[in-house]
Amino acid sequence: MTKPETIRSGVMAMTLWAVAFTLSLPCQADESADDKYFATQQVEARRAFREHITPFVKTYCADCHGDKKMKGGITFSPALKNPGTASANKKWKQALANVKTHNMPPEDADEQPTEEERQKFLDWMGKIKFLSPKDPGSFVIRRLTKVEYGNTLHDLLGVDVAVAQDLPDEVFGEGYLNTLSPLQTEQYLGIANEVLDRILAPKDAPPTAMQKRLFGELPAPGSDLRTEAKKVARSLARSAYRRPASEAEVGVLMQVFDLATKNKLAYPAALRLMLKAALVSPQFLFITPAQEAASGQAIVPLDDYQLACRLSYLLWATMPDAELSALADNGKLHEPAVLQAQVKRLLSDQRSRALFDGFGAQWLGLGDLKSQTFDSAKFPQMTGEMRSAMYDEARLFFDSIVRENRSIVSFVDSDYTFLNGTLAMLYGLEKTVTGKEMRKVKLTNANRGGILGMPGILATTSFPNRTSPVKRGVWVLEQVLGDHVPPAPPNVPALEKQDKNKVAYLTLRQRTELHRTNAVCANCHKILDPIGFGLENYDAIGRWRDQDDTGGKIDAVGELPGGKHFTSPKELKVIIAARKDELARNLTQKLLAYALCRQLEGYDEIVVDHLMETIAKEGYRMQTLIAEIITSYPFVNHRIQEPAPSTPHAK
Amino acid sequence: MRNNFLMDRRTCLRGIGASLALPLLETMGWADAIKGKAVKPPVRLGFMYMPHGVIMDQFWPATPESFLKSPPPALESLRGVLDQCLLMKGISGVPISPFNGAPHALELSTWLTAQLPDADTRNQINIAISADQIAANYVGALTALPSLELATMPQTHKENQEGLNEGYYSHCSFRSPTQAVPAETNPRSVLNRLFGKSDKAGVTAPADPLDRQMLDLVIGGAKNLRRKLPQDDQHKLDEYLDSVRAVERRIAAIEYRQKEAALEKAGVASSKRKASDSPPIEIKIPVGDKRSEYMQVMCDLNVLAFQTDTTRVSTYIGSTPNGVSYPELGFNDAHHSQTHHNNEAGKVGKVAAITAFNIAQFAYMVKKMHSLKEGNGTLLDNCIMMWGSGLEDGNKHARGNLPFIVAGKGGGSINTGRFLANTKGNQGDLLTTLLACAGVPLDRPIGIATKQIKEMMKA
Repeated sequence: MTKPETIRSGVMAMTLWAVAFTLSLPCQADESADDKYFATQQVEARRAFREHITPFVKTYCADCHGDKKMKGGITFSPALKNPGTASANKKWKQALANVKTHNMPPEDADEQPTEEERQKFLDWMGKIKFLSPKDPGSFVIRRLTKVEYGNTLHDLLGVDVAVAQDLPDEVFGEGYLNTLSPLQTEQYLGIANEVLDRILAPKDAPPTAMQKRLFGELPAPGSDLRTEAKKVARSLARSAYRRPASEAEVGVLMQVFDLATKNKLAYPAALRLMLKAALVSPQFLFITPAQEAASGQAIVPLDDYQLACRLSYLLWATMPDAELSALADNGKLHEPAVLQAQVKRLLSDQRSRALFDGFGAQWLGLGDLKSQTFDSAKFPQMTGEMRSAMYDEARLFFDSIVRENRSIVSFVDSDYTFLNGTLAMLYGLEKTVTGKEMRKVKLTNANRGGILGMPGILATTSFPNRTSPVKRGVWVLEQVLGDHVPPAPPNVPALEKQDKNKVAYLTLRQRTELHRTNAVCANCHKILDPIGFGLENYDAIGRWRDQDDTGGKIDAVGELPGGKHFTSPKELKVIIAARKDELARNLTQKLLAYALCRQLEGYDEIVVDHLMETIAKEGYRMQTLIAEIITSYPFVNHRIQEPAPSTPHAK
Repeated sequence: MRNNFLMDRRTCLRGIGASLALPLLETMGWADAIKGKAVKPPVRLGFMYMPHGVIMDQFWPATPESFLKSPPPALESLRGVLDQCLLMKGISGVPISPFNGAPHALELSTWLTAQLPDADTRNQINIAISADQIAANYVGALTALPSLELATMPQTHKENQEGLNEGYYSHCSFRSPTQAVPAETNPRSVLNRLFGKSDKAGVTAPADPLDRQMLDLVIGGAKNLRRKLPQDDQHKLDEYLDSVRAVERRIAAIEYRQKEAALEKAGVASSKRKASDSPPIEIKIPVGDKRSEYMQVMCDLNVLAFQTDTTRVSTYIGSTPNGVSYPELGFNDAHHSQTHHNNEAGKVGKVAAITAFNIAQFAYMVKKMHSLKEGNGTLLDNCIMMWGSGLEDGNKHARGNLPFIVAGKGGGSINTGRFLANTKGNQGDLLTTLLACAGVPLDRPIGIATKQIKEMMKA
């Protein structure tokens, strides 16, 4: 009964959608072939959903995850009704991962799908992306991060970025905590005061150079100060808000000027208060939209100011520079050739190290290395210097791949790295590499070179006192290959809880395998563990070893699904490096999500499919990957969301 | 419901929404004796946390009778103020199914909410307003800061259990179901926040008099921007607007303090402090990185904030469940790894030492409060300080019998000096009881609460 309804409303939504789309982007003819293909796939996907996925879910899942029972708080009912929504998409992803690993249906379920049914279900799930409407997502306003805020103050007012160091660090991750506390706002005010004290001349002293740049020359005696102040307000707002200010926004700054004048502040002091107001305004602290879109349009290209900001904060973590701003002022930036050229220019600049600090470190999981606990008795080497060197190694390595436009395969397989004397000790190269300076080092040992054999990464995926093959396995699957590993099922005893006498003489590998005898655990671990064990030759801080802590010989032999056999880290590396498509897709997805400041969902998967074609064609080069993301449909367009109704409680 | 405050709830709420031309302190301050009527000092409410549970047989007193004379090893540091404390054995935590694989993500985040996160939106923060923030909503408008949130470690834990948002690991205060309140870890920033940028504790630095009015204009401009935004973005801007208003109010409070100080200097007695009250305590910010010194300065700041009535609600996350170790105790093992001790003596000993260490810092704070005169008694008499953990026993992740210590008489509402060996209730009941003792009216129970625990209260 519900089926025909679902389809009809789905088609309706799609038609409306298509109308909106053709209206908003009439000039992009090259997109239409893709759109046609998309429409065909969508019809196919809808049929597949109706004929294959719905019956499978109803037979094997709905008893526990339906309307009546919601085990684990999960129900598929809404997703079955509206399979193309973002929230349904998340459910399907979960389902896919659990069915794939045989976690679901659980062993004690009444009915189990045959292997063939299971495989079919997995195949059909691949089509589910076509159920989502074509949508670039909305342009979400967001607060500048601590780093971006410091950089922006530096570029705008010439102060040291350290002026922002007291701000709390952000928590990143899927659910970025966007909470803004009064404390932080107060710090913004305090920092604004501090910055102004530094760049502006004290009372009655001659103006500083920065002051002249910001406020212009002192108005000639007799000129109308308010008119002059308004000119200053407009120019301050253009730079501080990173776009032309509206009349109303200039008006607010003028009110501040008037407040100062009324309180008998001299002209320079009044301008100071005005600048302070700009620095604590949401237009400065947040990235906000420039202009209101003409109503009636659902999807529009970003205006050039938004595009300049998005690009600049992505690659440089700071405000657009003069060249980008000029291109935005002239309305040129969105032209594909111009945009491509700007990407190249920004990447070749030193400031693009921000891409590693903001994205790369997060991707590789190195953000917490500085504060991670290590057993200092066992690993006295893990000093602050060592941790910095580990971080820098990964940073310089990442940077070299970006700057030299190497293939993303070199992330896994390379014959060079960056070391200083401290870090060289972990490589056993302390005789050849000495001193504090990090430098490029050619590697002859094929077990090293690439992120799988990089000490910083091997350390962050370890426990304080021992390695964790499971953590390393999960890391490779999730961060390098882009697989989704479901969390451990409840009530799994950790290794520490095994009977001590029974395991006393076993190596970590033998102990882990013992724990894998449990069928529930085995499903995932047979995929995770071989990778983790393949890296057991590296200890918990990344030194090479031939024996485990128990004295047992390291056994790095393993096999990946599909029968790929390896006996050492270097062979494992080769196998993983060969999975170019997965490596590239994973990196593309992670970087696209970072660039858009949101999770990927629905239509984004189609976008990634498109990007992958070009990226593969051009040899998986890093700059291609970045440029493709920056010129992609969701990066340069956005969906206009209706402003919320004016009464806050209306619904 | 008890009412320790001079104004009724309606007036108070109106105060929160008002644009705050002048701080409410002037009319609502607790020591402005109204026409000769004696006024009681306000009740302050503080929470302090340690993760991973305790070694049960070293924490609970043997009998109610032995509690004061021969306290268990974990409570040794509280000797001398045990008669100011109340122990309740038998308080159960929130059952964590369906998040069985996330005991540590939930021990802290359920601690003051007594409720589980929403399962459908688990990768975002979506839980419930926490007890401290409920109290702050009620009494927060009466002081310069609505509440104070402190932590020893930065709240940047990254680990994903059961798909739960990482913020659940390191936050226990939630301003609304979807907003975690970040805690301050830098003592210098806390001091600045309490008294403005000033090098001397208790001495208020001058605030720029125009800043408050300037912020008011900025708020006006932001409202304009807000109108054009979709709902999600409006929420973000609301957060900004709320926080700017809080700053405005704090500046107003500082101005008020300055005016008060000037009057006092001129010989006009306007102070709400009694002459017999202890002077504000000194704050010394330690230079080294010794954990105990660091925690004690945070405790001092908490004491000072309460003593000067700068806030009436505080939450101190003394330690977080993320690989924290205690080199000061002579070993480097991470707290968590030791709590899975399987009754091995070595590990049990280390967990016991870590627990005693954390309680000792709490004892330091409580003793300091007890040493300060306020009104006709001590500062502690007017406080409710709760110390506790979100697990009973880290070894098995048990949550059936959570360890809590309550110190302070709550303005005469709490019957201290006792060990209630057989309390029946849950974490929500406990929080509900404490809020009632602090005079905060509740329109609904907290989390899983069903009742108040009457045996804790003074008849």
